[in-house]
Amino acid sequence: MTVVEFLAQAEDLVSPGLSACQGCAAELALRTAMKVIGPKSVVGIPPGCVAGFGAPGWGLKTGMKVPVCMPLLGNSASLMSGIKQAYAAKDPEVRVVAFAGDGATVDAGFQCLSAAAERRENIIYICYDNEGYMNTGFQKSGTTPHGAHMSTTPSGSCSQGNAAFKKDLPLMLAMQDAAYVATLSVSHIPDFVDKLKKACEVTDGLSYLHILSPCPTGWGTTPELSIEYARKAVETLYFPLYEYSRGTFTISKPTLRAAAKAKPVSEFLAGQRRFRHLCEADALALQEHVDRKWGILSRLAG
Amino acid sequence: MRRLPIGRDGMYVIDTGSWRQFRPVVRQADCTRCGICLMYCPVNAVRMSDGEVSFDLTYCKGCGICKIECPKKAIDWVEEGC
Amino acid sequence: MARLDALTGNECAAQAARLCRVDTVVGYPITPQSSVVESIAAMVANGKMSSKFITPESEHSVMSILKGAGMMGERVFTATSGQGLAYMYEPYFSMSTARIPMVMALATREMISPVTVWSGMQDAHSVRDAGWIHLYAADNQEILDSIIQGYLIAEHPDVIIPVHVCYDGFYLSHQTAEVVVPDQEAVDAFLPPCALTQMLDVNDPAMVDSNTPGDLMMEYREDHLASMRRALDVVAEVDAAFAAGFGRSHAGLLETYRVDDAEEIVVTIGAMSGTAKDAVDAARAKGRSVGLIRVRCLRPFPAKALGALLAGRKAVGVVDRSVSFGWSAGIVYQETLAALGLAGIAVPTLSAIGGLGGADIREEHLARVLDLIHDCALAGRSRQDAVWMNHELLSAQRR
Repeated sequence: MTVVEFLAQAEDLVSPGLSACQGCAAELALRTAMKVIGPKSVVGIPPGCVAGFGAPGWGLKTGMKVPVCMPLLGNSASLMSGIKQAYAAKDPEVRVVAFAGDGATVDAGFQCLSAAAERRENIIYICYDNEGYMNTGFQKSGTTPHGAHMSTTPSGSCSQGNAAFKKDLPLMLAMQDAAYVATLSVSHIPDFVDKLKKACEVTDGLSYLHILSPCPTGWGTTPELSIEYARKAVETLYFPLYEYSRGTFTISKPTLRAAAKAKPVSEFLAGQRRFRHLCEADALALQEHVDRKWGILSRLAG
Repeated sequence: MRRLPIGRDGMYVIDTGSWRQFRPVVRQADCTRCGICLMYCPVNAVRMSDGEVSFDLTYCKGCGICKIECPKKAIDWVEEGC
Repeated sequence: MARLDALTGNECAAQAARLCRVDTVVGYPITPQSSVVESIAAMVANGKMSSKFITPESEHSVMSILKGAGMMGERVFTATSGQGLAYMYEPYFSMSTARIPMVMALATREMISPVTVWSGMQDAHSVRDAGWIHLYAADNQEILDSIIQGYLIAEHPDVIIPVHVCYDGFYLSHQTAEVVVPDQEAVDAFLPPCALTQMLDVNDPAMVDSNTPGDLMMEYREDHLASMRRALDVVAEVDAAFAAGFGRSHAGLLETYRVDDAEEIVVTIGAMSGTAKDAVDAARAKGRSVGLIRVRCLRPFPAKALGALLAGRKAVGVVDRSVSFGWSAGIVYQETLAALGLAGIAVPTLSAIGGLGGADIREEHLARVLDLIHDCALAGRSRQDAVWMNHELLSAQRR
């Protein structure tokens, strides 16, 4: 079965009408991930865009066809661990999934995520990284890139936007020897589906999937270009696709192809409102950061 | 009064089709049924049946991703109400 | 057969968790509670207890993991103190408001700053409005028995609210005392197996604990308050049933001591109550008409019962191991004033504060407080500022 055939026949486990913005990549990521994970699953969605657009439901109505709950911003990995450990005795095949934004993952939820990985909790933790607190008005998070104009790191006469650099959580979890770590892009769906399948097969620890999720509203791009920006992120090595499992880093094929003729990161920056104030030096700083990170990763992957 | 915070009142569904300013229309003659539009549609509104691609306009938000991503440029963008 | 043992308060809490056959214990160390989770870890490691035992990285995660297990219908347990309770406040509040009826042991501790690890009740009293039932033990036996009672109260179909059993850090947590450890059969006969709702079920998918509009939120809160009111009866009933089964009562909501003919009353909470009874006896020996009421249940607050007990007295003093910032008073004092107000009782009152950060509450402090309560009765006026049960109080007496 091809990936398209699989996606065409798989049941959409998410409500057909949810209030994600037009062109929201997180909505695509959620629906696609749940098609792979399947109906025998419990999902936790902490505060963030996906919770805000109604996937965990509203009032007494549900936004999912599987059991769904809403953890706190900073406790998804712990809450889902408790659920998984209780379910393990009843039915070990039930998949317990956290679907969390970058704020709930790399900022407030990092401590407990790291601990869950250390305890080898058998949960699937998915981070949709739209590079900021987009649901609450585009505030800077730990994954906001350098230079980005955000509502808490605005550019101005004394500021060039976010002074910090994007925090690399997948690499940190790989260094913790989490059972399975992968980076995914909505622009490369076959790779995306393949990695989710691998995460579902893990039975002895935590799977961490980090998805770059373009946000047209927050990035200041038009909705139809969301996939295109995700693709540019891969092609410029801004967001390399790779896997880590049992001591081995493997660079994914789309990134191997991109690395052969990597485009400058400025191609990813171009056209995004959050970067429009950047000068050449800022873009250079970003490029250097991308190069440095890629250097680390390519050395790790041998 | 309610006790346990459990919701069983059915599915929460928003009429996202009403957001649309433009709707996608496939030129079937140019469409190769590759399914790329289906793969990338954030709202899962693309259907492939009887060898034809169609859109579930009840929920299609009109984001335009399918139009941009179609390798054959076989999706037209038609303004709603026209 | 029940056996007689010599146990610390913390060991009592651990034994109670074992006897209640909890499914999951999540443990994180914090002084002065650590030996509760250490004891449980040892019992699990040695096959004396069959619970899962999980060791996360913080109290925030402790309560979060427990919430996940509780949502799955498990009977769960943990223990904490002071800063740990403060750190877990966010999931702690959501545990009660998601109506997951667990029991937690709390070896009470003063709050930082400045730094302290010692006793006080500021931690527990600061979270009195977070939706949990609060029982306060006065001795080690009561810790063990209240945890067993706690699960029956928490899981009672009219209640479904978590219970925390508080006991003075160090004074009870680390003090060894003679304790009757009931046998498993007796506890099994008293506490039925856990039959809580499994909220998350792949065979019956539902939304749990999600975005909620205000009108619905009001319905949840209204039920929570109504259940708290019913818990007043349940706490008393469960203690009576426990007394029938085990031959020991812990006085239900309020313990009274020599109050029948007393003109003056001192209200206490926790371990200081034993010392306070000695002070009452000494005052009685001097001809003073004084009695004691110990608050065992702070949430729900037995306002009506307390009001009825305080009617017709000449003065009431309350001794707190906490402060109510913004008032010159302690927290149980505030609760007592509210009960008096509801009952329409006008009586001179006094707030005494002592035992913060591990400071001792000695019999001579309490004797002095009883004198000052007597002064209030004679003057027919409440004391505006708190009495601080410190060195100065005693030196003033000597002068």
